[in-house]
Amino acid sequence: MNKKFGNFHAVRDLTLRVFPGEVFGFLGPNGAGKTTTIRIMVGLMKPTSGRVLLSGKDIAQQPVEAKSILGYISDRPYLYEKLTGQEFLEFVADLHSLDSGEGRRKRVTELLEFFDLQSWSKELVESYSHGMRQRLIIAAAILHRPQILVVDEPMVGLDPKGARLVKRLFFELARAGVAIFMSTHNLEIAEEMCHRIGIINEGQLIALGTMQELREKAQSADDRLEPLFLKLTGEAGIREFMQGFRF
Amino acid sequence: MDAWLILLQPKIIALRHRLRQPARGSFLKPLILACLAVSFWAFTFWAFQRVLLYFRGVELFGDLLAAKLMGMILLTFFSILLFSNIISSLSTFFLAEDLTLFLSRPVSLDRVYYARLAETMTHSSWMVLLFGLPVFLAYGWVYQASCNYYLVFACALIPFLIIPAALGALFSMILVNIFPARRTKDILFLLSIFFAVSLYFLLRFLQPERLVNPDSFAGLVEYLSALSAPSSAFLPSFWISEAMLPYYQDHQAPSGFFLGLIWSTAGAMVVFGNWVFRTLYFAGWTKSQEARRARLTQSPLIDGLLRLLTRPLNVRARALVVKDFKSFFRDTTQWSQLILLSALVVVYLYNFRVLPLDKSPMPTFFLQNLLSFLNMALAGFVLSAVSGRFVFPAVSLEGLSFWIIRSSPVSLRSFLWSKFWTSLIPLIILGEVLIILSNTFLKVTPFMMVLSSATLFFMTFGIVGLGVGMGALYPRFKVENASQIASGFGGAFYMILSMTFIGAVVTLEAWPVYTLFMAELHHRTLSLWEWAGIFLSFSGVAILNALAVVLPMRLGLKNISEMDF
Repeated sequence: MNKKFGNFHAVRDLTLRVFPGEVFGFLGPNGAGKTTTIRIMVGLMKPTSGRVLLSGKDIAQQPVEAKSILGYISDRPYLYEKLTGQEFLEFVADLHSLDSGEGRRKRVTELLEFFDLQSWSKELVESYSHGMRQRLIIAAAILHRPQILVVDEPMVGLDPKGARLVKRLFFELARAGVAIFMSTHNLEIAEEMCHRIGIINEGQLIALGTMQELREKAQSADDRLEPLFLKLTGEAGIREFMQGFRF
Repeated sequence: MDAWLILLQPKIIALRHRLRQPARGSFLKPLILACLAVSFWAFTFWAFQRVLLYFRGVELFGDLLAAKLMGMILLTFFSILLFSNIISSLSTFFLAEDLTLFLSRPVSLDRVYYARLAETMTHSSWMVLLFGLPVFLAYGWVYQASCNYYLVFACALIPFLIIPAALGALFSMILVNIFPARRTKDILFLLSIFFAVSLYFLLRFLQPERLVNPDSFAGLVEYLSALSAPSSAFLPSFWISEAMLPYYQDHQAPSGFFLGLIWSTAGAMVVFGNWVFRTLYFAGWTKSQEARRARLTQSPLIDGLLRLLTRPLNVRARALVVKDFKSFFRDTTQWSQLILLSALVVVYLYNFRVLPLDKSPMPTFFLQNLLSFLNMALAGFVLSAVSGRFVFPAVSLEGLSFWIIRSSPVSLRSFLWSKFWTSLIPLIILGEVLIILSNTFLKVTPFMMVLSSATLFFMTFGIVGLGVGMGALYPRFKVENASQIASGFGGAFYMILSMTFIGAVVTLEAWPVYTLFMAELHHRTLSLWEWAGIFLSFSGVAILNALAVVLPMRLGLKNISEMDF
């Protein structure tokens, strides 16, 4: 897949495959092309060339079918400000044509309780904090039990309790066979949660594999992801820079 | 540089960037806007100089009429400025995103006040100033005023703009402190009603129509006293009017006194406003951060009603309709527009009710039906204005939340058509109420009643199709409120196209209606050629309506489908 904005090549020859039950971490420095890739994957942008298949369904050719098995957690907490949390979930359930029976009502209530939003469910979204919005977005993304979950910065705005909740949720979803594609800047989370990691820099995939495979590629004996990431993205000189910088 | 000017720097720099880097693409946008502005200017100047020349020709009262007109215009401007400043100051003082930045920096509250006051004044005044200038230039031109007239005007104008800005800020500060929680937007709603009612009273009290009809006064003395009666000696509009009078008419008035009055009042208002600001602002700003609850639209009754009304729709379309309905009625800025719309409809119908048809030299029967025909266009224009405000912004109002629709399993075609149908039904109801009631007041023939109702019914499809389609062709997802969407380039372009469409439909129907009408009047049968012409004209109307729906909807759909979001 390729994506160009004028002369700027945002994503270059990216080829990736994520498997059911896998948590895939997509890492890269700011402006590397992570969010552009994700926005193409979920149908918010068109690639300049190439295609995205979700369980064999082309997001550009069969958008409705592809999106019906997809859950997307955006890093931008923009929601319908004038709906309440519960109404928003009901709205998303309708977009996915979920049966409006008792089962759906139970599912909505369960999710509101799971994300600790029950007491706020009748309040307008405009009064929600950033973390509450993020929890509502996550609840909406898994409401229809998607086969694929695409996540852009899952922990933005979440408190430690919320972050732990989300980690546990992702493990459970992966165990249930959901493919999770997750972009994050938080290397500890990536290290802890992801089965495989892809590192993108200046629009190109520069590394792909398990932690062990990345270590081999970077010829590093370090167990942690951070030095590996800095080495692979050419930002290892940051320590020397910081030493020379006076605040 | 003074600190309050530094606070204005981001706005000034942003404006400079916008002016230096006009919209990408063609010159079309600035060209159309410039043409519209110049045409409006030229027309206003022409119309006013005609009126003033006419007044100058009227013996005894001419100059008095011109002065009275000046007073009325200034009073109207003052009212508009006051209202517009209240609305603007709510945004600039309490809702603007950059306030968090300023209030967390070591900037004194005085500086924040002056900077925000200047911003409020600029926001509220530039449009009134721009559209008002040709009026004052026309006065100077017709009365061949010396350059002193323009100097005094410029000198009096600045405090004339400052006073409503300071008053507006003061008023909004008090309101925000009185109303609990995040009710600032609700206040807009109240203000709109207040403004509409005030404007109505203002117009009724001024009774401009009586001034050109001296017969309606009992005697010459009463007429003269009505003309020379000041609107109110305590209003800045009166002071500026009196300050300018000696410079365009042969009239003795203490111009310096009035200039002094208006400048000292402006200064006092700013100082007093600053004092109130320091006392009330922080508490008000804190209150404006709180949340509000939706009450009415969460009631089971409303939910049940919505479910009933949307039963024929499929589940996804229903979800979109319910979401739009709730968002619309919970947004108080939208209600205020609805109230103003209702006032517009009442005034529209009232005008037909009080039309003095019997006083016209033309036969009443002919005039009634002619007016009814023209009424189709007028009702179309009303629908077009309403559509410009409510239908055109429908797609843009999804805002940055549009990612939810784009990443959900709803086709953009269904999304766009759901916007079409939900806009169409209320607009058809409004249009039919307008046309049927006004035709009833006119007592038109059944033929005209059927024709105009049917024409408006189908024309509404075109108006809505153009609105939704062009709204998708020129979406503005990043603006904060609907009025900004409607006032942009796309909104202006939509209004032009919509008016052209209505004009074309009415023109196409003019000949066949006239032919049918005359044949009925003279009890004669139509020839084959005439029937063929009528058929062709009505086919043209049908094709035009279909094109107005299909073309913009297709182009809009293509645009949002290909748009990177």
